Order: sequence, then structure tokens, then C-alpha cells
Amino acid sequence: MSSTNTGEAIAPTQKTIIITRFDPDKDEVPRKQEYSVPCEDNWKVLDAVNFIKDELDATVSHRWSCRMAVCGSCGMMVNGEPKLTCKTSLKEYGDRVDIEPLANFPIVRDLVVELDGFMHKFEAVKPWIKRAKEKAEDKAALHDTKLTFSQSAEELGNFKQFSMCINCMLCYSACPVVANEPDFLGPAAIALGHRYNMDSRDEGNAERNEIFRGEGTVFSCSFANECSEVCPKNVDPAAAVNQAKFEAVIDWAKGLVLPSPSSGGSN
Amino acid sequence: MAGPAHPHSMAPPKPGRTRAAPPQMPASWWNTSRMRTYLLFDATGIIYLLVGFVAIRMIRALAEGAGAWQAAMQSLENPIYIGFHLLSLISVIFVAVRFFRLFPKAQPPSIGPLKPPPGPVIHAALYAVWIGVTVVMSLALAGVIF
Amino acid sequence: MKTLLLKLEPLIWFMFGQGILIGTILLTGWILVVGVLMPLGIVDPANLDYTRAHELATASLFGVIPLGQLILAALLVLPLWKGAHHIRSLLVDFGGGERDGIVGGLLYLVAIVGSGMGIAAVVGL
Repeated sequence: MSSTNTGEAIAPTQKTIIITRFDPDKDEVPRKQEYSVPCEDNWKVLDAVNFIKDELDATVSHRWSCRMAVCGSCGMMVNGEPKLTCKTSLKEYGDRVDIEPLANFPIVRDLVVELDGFMHKFEAVKPWIKRAKEKAEDKAALHDTKLTFSQSAEELGNFKQFSMCINCMLCYSACPVVANEPDFLGPAAIALGHRYNMDSRDEGNAERNEIFRGEGTVFSCSFANECSEVCPKNVDPAAAVNQAKFEAVIDWAKGLVLPSPSSGGSN
Repeated sequence: MAGPAHPHSMAPPKPGRTRAAPPQMPASWWNTSRMRTYLLFDATGIIYLLVGFVAIRMIRALAEGAGAWQAAMQSLENPIYIGFHLLSLISVIFVAVRFFRLFPKAQPPSIGPLKPPPGPVIHAALYAVWIGVTVVMSLALAGVIF
Repeated sequence: MKTLLLKLEPLIWFMFGQGILIGTILLTGWILVVGVLMPLGIVDPANLDYTRAHELATASLFGVIPLGQLILAALLVLPLWKGAHHIRSLLVDFGGGERDGIVGGLLYLVAIVGSGMGIAAVVGL
């Protein structure tokens, strides 16, 4: 089999890459800077930003790591749409490509955004398996996988999709509610919380639902479905958020029909 | 329409050590094809509210008596009403198509002991019910059946 | 107001959901015939004169279930909730997050008043 590398190289296309620049020590507000970049045919958007950083302007700051859509670091706005830049072909765009930091996040520097707000929401949904209390069989299960922790394929299917999130935060940039309701937990955090609520091994629903139905309310979601549209891993956070709403309504209706444990109803 | 997002959008619980620029929304967030579809879907809310009140007015007239009903039916012949109802008809069809597409995935995997049918089945059933009810209701209102 | 809305959110969302689902299913035929075909003269409005309209509206199933009135109640009330809730989220999307509590409250008040009017009209048939 002949190598394609021996063929004549395709000449790079010159593109204007516009990068948002912000230096908290010098700039009052973010500004734009243009770079003329010789783009190879097979480049991803991230390759162009890396080229600028390596060859044209070492002061440009951006986050990236794995280059294979696993680490979730390189999310940026590309021509106004949140994209994982290592997964997005530069070929899809014309001569001018506008690269901005993720929308709806405070900008720390250039293309780097503040993550603490996201981490805070993320932590709030208690994204780990919670047991009501340590049970004898929990300990036994540590030694025998056939016991408590075993799970059927169907049980796994209830949440598996929601566990594929790589925390790239594109969904937060796409969500019109995140932009206007600071308390809203947002797509990825709700999807992750819902993932544990759906897990047959978990018993933390009550605690998580308190957060879901309280301040960070899942009901703020207006089902724009943008989170699911931009998700690079097909997690479908919009499904999780709306399933969480549905569960809240069912629980609320149950509360009307069944006496609550504390009131000790007469019927 | 460019502009700032809520200043506290995705803000850390306590300020960081360096000054951050406030969060921005994409300059034309409302002007992508998906967002336009979604915003129009929400905007049909205005139509639904108005259509609801027009229908209330009709049934109030019906409760009042023959004269009021006759007058109310005649008022709907006003071109403005006809235009509004044509727009409403487009709106309900648009709402049905978008909502029926999104509805299946909002179903939890199980509701108590019940399991909702697979997405495509729900999707098809929604269309069947919608078209069925519309046909029966139209024929009944037009005096063909019942 | 925001706290009150937070408590009522499941009920509001339920009414809103039914507004989209059942409201849309019921409205299509109503708008088509009463709002478009009859005013345009494509269907003779005489087919829905007072006597027949009243008969349809008060039709009952097996003489006990007031089917006509139930359908009408849903048709009058549910779209209002779809309307109020969607206008609320539209306003949030255009920067109204801060005033969501008061604006949402007012919109649902309109829906509540309309629902009362609608149910009163249906009961008075």
C-alpha cells in the first residue's frame, strides 16, 4: 500500500483567525486581534490556535490537552457557536474564523474562562454514589461482586448516556437560561446529578432533588435543547433536565395523593 | 443584540485573585437557525394566550344565548380575526411538530412500575392522537358527525 | 414572589405541559373550523348555529360524563398556561432573569383569571 504522504502536499490556505484578547492587567474590556495563519487542509480549529501560540504570538492564552475529544479542555466559541476545537475541522469555516472564550463564563484571560462557578454547581449535585447508611451488604459486596452492587444492563441503560460527560462546558455556553439565571444549576450539572439519581445503587435522590427543586431549579430550563445540540459526546443533557422535571411533578402529585410521612394522614 | 450575559452568570462563589471580564453572550445568539426555531416556539405563547381568550369569549357568548353566539360568530369574519386565526393555525402545527419531536426524551425510563414505550412509538402515537382528534373535532364542529 | 413560584413550579410546569400537549391537540380543530373555515365561508356557519353549538357543548357520555364541557374546559384553560409560561421564558431569554419573579407572577395571574373566566363560562352553559 502506497503512503499518501509521498504525494504532493496541498498548499496551506491562508485564513484570518480572530482571537479574543483580554489581559486583566492591561485591558479594561476584551478586544479582538487578527492573525493571518497558513492553515493545513487537515487542521482542526485547535491546530490554528496552537500555531498562533507557537509561531506568531506566544502571549495568547488558551486551554487544551488531549486533542482527542476526551479531556474537555479546549471548548471555545467558533464563529459564535460553542465547539470542542480539537474535534472541529477548520475546513468547515470560511476565510475568517472568529474564536472567542466560552460564552456565559467570566473571562480570566484571552480564551481562558473562570471554572470555579461551574465546579461549584457541579459539586452541588453531589455527583457520587450516596447510600442511605452503610449496610452490612455494602461491605460484603466489596468482596463479592454478585451482591449489592451488581446492576442489570437495563439499569445501566437508564443512566449510562448521562455519565459520558467530559465537563467541556459547551452546554453552559449554549444555554440561554444560564446566560440570564445565575442560580440555575445548568445542563451538565443536572445531567450528572440525574445520572446518580437514576443509578440503582444510589440512595441520594432526596438530597439531590432538594437542590434540583430548590434554588438551582431544574424548572428554569426552557427546553431550548441547545445543550444537547452542541454536546460533543451526545450526552443529551436536555433529556436529563426534563426527566428530572417530570420526576419532580410525579413526586409532587404523589405528595397530594399519599399522606406525607411527617403529617401521618388519617386515610 | 450583542451583549453581556447576566453579570453573575457562572461566577465563582467568591471572587478570584485576578480581575475577570464579565461573561458575554454570542453576538448573534438569537439569530442561528436552531435558536430562531426555539424563540419562535416560545413566542407562540403569545398566540396561545390570545387564542385562549378568544375561545373564552366565544363560550361566554354561547352561555349568554343565541343572539350573543350569533354576534360572536359573525365577529370572527373580521379580516383581522381571520388573519390571527390563520397565524394561530400555523402556530399550533409548528408547536405540535417541534414538541412531539422533543417530548419522548423528556419521559423518565420508568414511572413507578410503568415503562413508557420507546421514543419512536411515542412520537407516532402523538401524531396519531393529534390528527385523529383534529379530524373528529373538525367534523363534529362542521356538522358532519354527531 | 420568586420563592412562591419555586414552590409552585411542579404545578405550573404540569399545567404548561398539558397546555402544549392537550391544548395543541384540541386547539387545532377548533381554530381550523371556527376560526378559519367558517369565517371564510368554506364551511357553512349555519352548521354551528346556537342550538347545535349548545348541544355539542353540553353533550354527555352515557348521560353522566359531561364530555362536551370537559373538552371545552381543557380547550379554554390549558392554552393560557402554555402561553403564560412560554412568554415568561421568552422574557428571561432576553435578559429578564432579574425580574422573573414578578413578571412570572403577573403572567400566571393572567392565566389564573382566564382559567376562572373559562371555567365559569363552561359551567354556565
